[in-house]
Amino acid sequence: MPVVRLYYEDMERLIGASRDTIMSRLAMMGADIGKRAEADHVDVEFFPDRPDLYSPEGVARAMQGFLGLKTGLVHYQVEKGPVELLVEESVKSVRPIIGCAVVRDLEFSDEAIESLMGLQEDLHWGLGRNRRKVAIGVHDISRVTSPFRYLGADPDRKFVPLDFWEEVSMREMLHKHPKGRDYGHILEGCERYPLIVDDNDNVLSFPPIINGELTRVTEDSHDLFIDVTGTDPVVYKALNIVVTSLAERGGKIESVLVKRSEGDFVSPNLEPSLWTVSAREANLLIGFDLTAQELASCLEMMRFGARAEGSAVEVQVPAYRADIMHSWDIFEDAAKAYGYDRLVAELPKAVTVGKAHPAELRKAEIREIMAGLGYLETMPFTLTNEKIHFDWMRRPREGAVRVMHPISELHTILRTSLLSSLLEIFAINQHHPLPQKIFAVGDVVVEKRTQMHLAAASVHSQASFSEIRSVADAVLRELGLEEDVKIVPSQDGALLPGRGADLLIDGQKKGLFGELHPLVLQSFGLEQPVVALELRWGEL
Amino acid sequence: MLSESDAKVLKAISEGHLDPQTIAEKLGKNVETVRASADALAEQGLAKVDKSVDEIFSLAEEGQKYAREGLPERNLLRAIGSGKPIAELKDPSLKIGLGWLRKKGWAAIQAGELKPIGSAAKGKDEEILETLLAGPRSGSTLDSKGLAALKGRGLVTSTKSKEWRYEITDEGISRIKGIERTSTFKVSAIIVNGTLNQIPSDLIKNGEWGVKLGEELADNYVRQDGKLYHARPYDVTLAADRIYPGKKHPYQRLIDFMREIMLEMGFTEIKGQIIQSSFWNFDALFQPQDHPAREMQDTFYLDTRAEIPDFTKVKEMHECGGAVGSTGWGGCWSPEVARQEVLRTHTTAVTIKYLADHPQPPVKAFGIDRVYRREAIDATHTPEFEQLEGVVMDEGVSFRHLLGVLKEFYAKMGFEEVRFRPGYFPYTEPSVEPEVFIDGLGWVELGGAGVFRREVTAPFCIEHPVLAWGLGVSRVAMLKLGLKDLRLLYQSDMEWLRQTPVSIKM
Repeated sequence: MPVVRLYYEDMERLIGASRDTIMSRLAMMGADIGKRAEADHVDVEFFPDRPDLYSPEGVARAMQGFLGLKTGLVHYQVEKGPVELLVEESVKSVRPIIGCAVVRDLEFSDEAIESLMGLQEDLHWGLGRNRRKVAIGVHDISRVTSPFRYLGADPDRKFVPLDFWEEVSMREMLHKHPKGRDYGHILEGCERYPLIVDDNDNVLSFPPIINGELTRVTEDSHDLFIDVTGTDPVVYKALNIVVTSLAERGGKIESVLVKRSEGDFVSPNLEPSLWTVSAREANLLIGFDLTAQELASCLEMMRFGARAEGSAVEVQVPAYRADIMHSWDIFEDAAKAYGYDRLVAELPKAVTVGKAHPAELRKAEIREIMAGLGYLETMPFTLTNEKIHFDWMRRPREGAVRVMHPISELHTILRTSLLSSLLEIFAINQHHPLPQKIFAVGDVVVEKRTQMHLAAASVHSQASFSEIRSVADAVLRELGLEEDVKIVPSQDGALLPGRGADLLIDGQKKGLFGELHPLVLQSFGLEQPVVALELRWGEL
Repeated sequence: MLSESDAKVLKAISEGHLDPQTIAEKLGKNVETVRASADALAEQGLAKVDKSVDEIFSLAEEGQKYAREGLPERNLLRAIGSGKPIAELKDPSLKIGLGWLRKKGWAAIQAGELKPIGSAAKGKDEEILETLLAGPRSGSTLDSKGLAALKGRGLVTSTKSKEWRYEITDEGISRIKGIERTSTFKVSAIIVNGTLNQIPSDLIKNGEWGVKLGEELADNYVRQDGKLYHARPYDVTLAADRIYPGKKHPYQRLIDFMREIMLEMGFTEIKGQIIQSSFWNFDALFQPQDHPAREMQDTFYLDTRAEIPDFTKVKEMHECGGAVGSTGWGGCWSPEVARQEVLRTHTTAVTIKYLADHPQPPVKAFGIDRVYRREAIDATHTPEFEQLEGVVMDEGVSFRHLLGVLKEFYAKMGFEEVRFRPGYFPYTEPSVEPEVFIDGLGWVELGGAGVFRREVTAPFCIEHPVLAWGLGVSRVAMLKLGLKDLRLLYQSDMEWLRQTPVSIKM
């Protein structure tokens, strides 16, 4: 989740409340506050559905409402500006959507620059799917001349990218520039690359890769041109979040006329979207009992525009909110404003009778039997690897499900049986006194289906076939399986020939027991004889 | 009292045979039995056992490779230079390095780009790999943390060489003298010089018990066929051999404790497959197909596809919001993506399938089962762990009822103080993060909860609110069983299993 660094002084200034007031209510608005509050700042995680909170300015805006200092919709002035941008046909098959805006009269402190850069990065992550869907460019507009053009350029076109001294072709940038290496894959297979140039053919930006060095933003920049490009209308949300956040810092928003063959439009569009929600539905979902008027007040605290209309509420959703998909999203905000701590918890009235799953009841029977026989339960991982699970067990590599991108060489497949896991546990417990007798009852996955197994093993110098035969007989007898099971000599590689038996039910192998082959014990580094049994007793 | 074989071992020690091998040879027993006897003697204070264990480490096959070629994270670090997008790391061996790279803090993922951090100085683990390349070494000469890390990754193996030395105590000496006065260590006879250890059946049935010794009647004497035997009195204050019963795993005890709470609260237990389609694991829960949580960094994918049910309504919901007044995610929803199989990342995959099969109210269902996350293993992270999940679906239930269920559940778990703060989960709205108060720790976040979004329930014709919550059971185990390292649950130390009592309080 994105972490936003909030400097207390900055926040007190932006919000108009004391540090203590802010910190005591922040979590109840929806945030994870890190344990490590520093002397002058705190790092706070905001949820992925609220990209409008990825900047201190956005947090301040929301907090003012939540504390009741300034409520209702924020009206941002958008001045009609002189800047124009032409979208050429050549870019539409590559990266068709663009929104842009000009923000003037900014004073950039270190904190403001840090917050703008952080916001950009977090939006690339949260909304932009790592720039594929949305990429944001911020430029010092004083270096370039309107009208601008957004076009699909020849990859051999050259310009000086950010942090470089000399001209490089766009094609080369994808290999030479760090950002090119990071994001070049987005343009894989494209014959033309997106480019924004000014009236004199100076390059502003090569989205979604890198800006030109020419329009670099410095502490001396005051007037910014912002471009947001991508493949999805969420581009406009990202633009709105950036420009309103800059406006909260005192910037003046100016519109850009975007010219396209399918129709011109003025950007940014900060008009709220209109929703009508019912107080009754809100009450049913949350379980409080609010009038439409009260519901509207709650929503105003969350910086919606809200007006009660009979039993309904007309809601204006700010243009920077990217998370309102359904009326329930609005109701949740009302519940936050009302206060989760004020909701009276109550148990549902439905009378139902609890019922354990039959497989768990069976497991409980098995545990009772095994504990009675003196065995300790273990609960090994279901992830293992071919070497231990098959090779060390002298079994063919069959039936196991392999994961595509294992995170360690130890965990590459799901176990198809339990026994090798028990031997591993013996191996790590060799310094403890013998005999050791352990069992496990749990899931294995064979040919992608979940099956339920029992395995038990005993290690000590006198461990013998007759010992495990007695245990196997007892288990089968207690589970009521004795009459169904046929015992025949086993060919399993894990068992010593002539000292292992298979358990057949209806002619199908359901388990085995016997003495482990010394070669198996050697692989696990065990030095004493081991006898064991395994039984497939059920499947889901 | 001493068993006969313990007594023989004690005598052997008293005669100056001080190690198990020698004693075993002398008595014609196996070494293990001698050690067990000596342990028993030590417990009674009759002998002292000095055990020294040395662990000799050497490189495993994988470790050999890395010692020569470098650890995967080191190689990956080299490969990324000043930074590289995750998507470009195609070589599977590089991917293994990724988890460690992040864990060691050598690099971080920022905006999908893997970037190096700091100098990535050579680690103790790497030094050890180099040392061991020259040949096996004693663990005492190696850095213990580095060694533990390598062991955890299966890169080194060890053998233990053990040495036991015995010594008789003063008490042992006087005991030997006592035994020598009354017995002559006859192996087969139970009755020794007229003294009884085990009481023979015949004497129980037919013996004349009790003799007059002066004024007193001593009824631990018995007469038969004109002979008198004495049932020798024991020092009943002495401890005997320590034994342990077979037991349920302490963690299973916790799981059953939680299962019983759910059953008491009227919930039906449900189960499902470990392998799920992305459809049930993600799409049915309205997770957009380009959602970051679906990326391969977090999820174990399989290279196989599953059959999925009629997806018309789910597709419609994702693309344009269906008929419940939602905007949907837009874009184009692909059934091919939904068919890809995964190891379930949460039990919710099982829950939504159950609700789809049982859309009529009321439904109260729960499950506790393993889920899988693609995380590097350490003390607080395991790639698989148990999750508890519960749902209530009924006419007229609300978010406030969810808080009621949570309060009740946590109270039964022993967490009397619960508070709620807003949360975010992709498939619930509203969402809440419950926190419980724990002495010494303060408020601790424990689990997550919410009401299933309409976009989740509507495509499956579930018309009433679904209240849902879940929590990681291994997190609870850390609190309740006082665990510092989650790996102990799955790779258990036998002594921990033996010594954790059945009566442990949850």
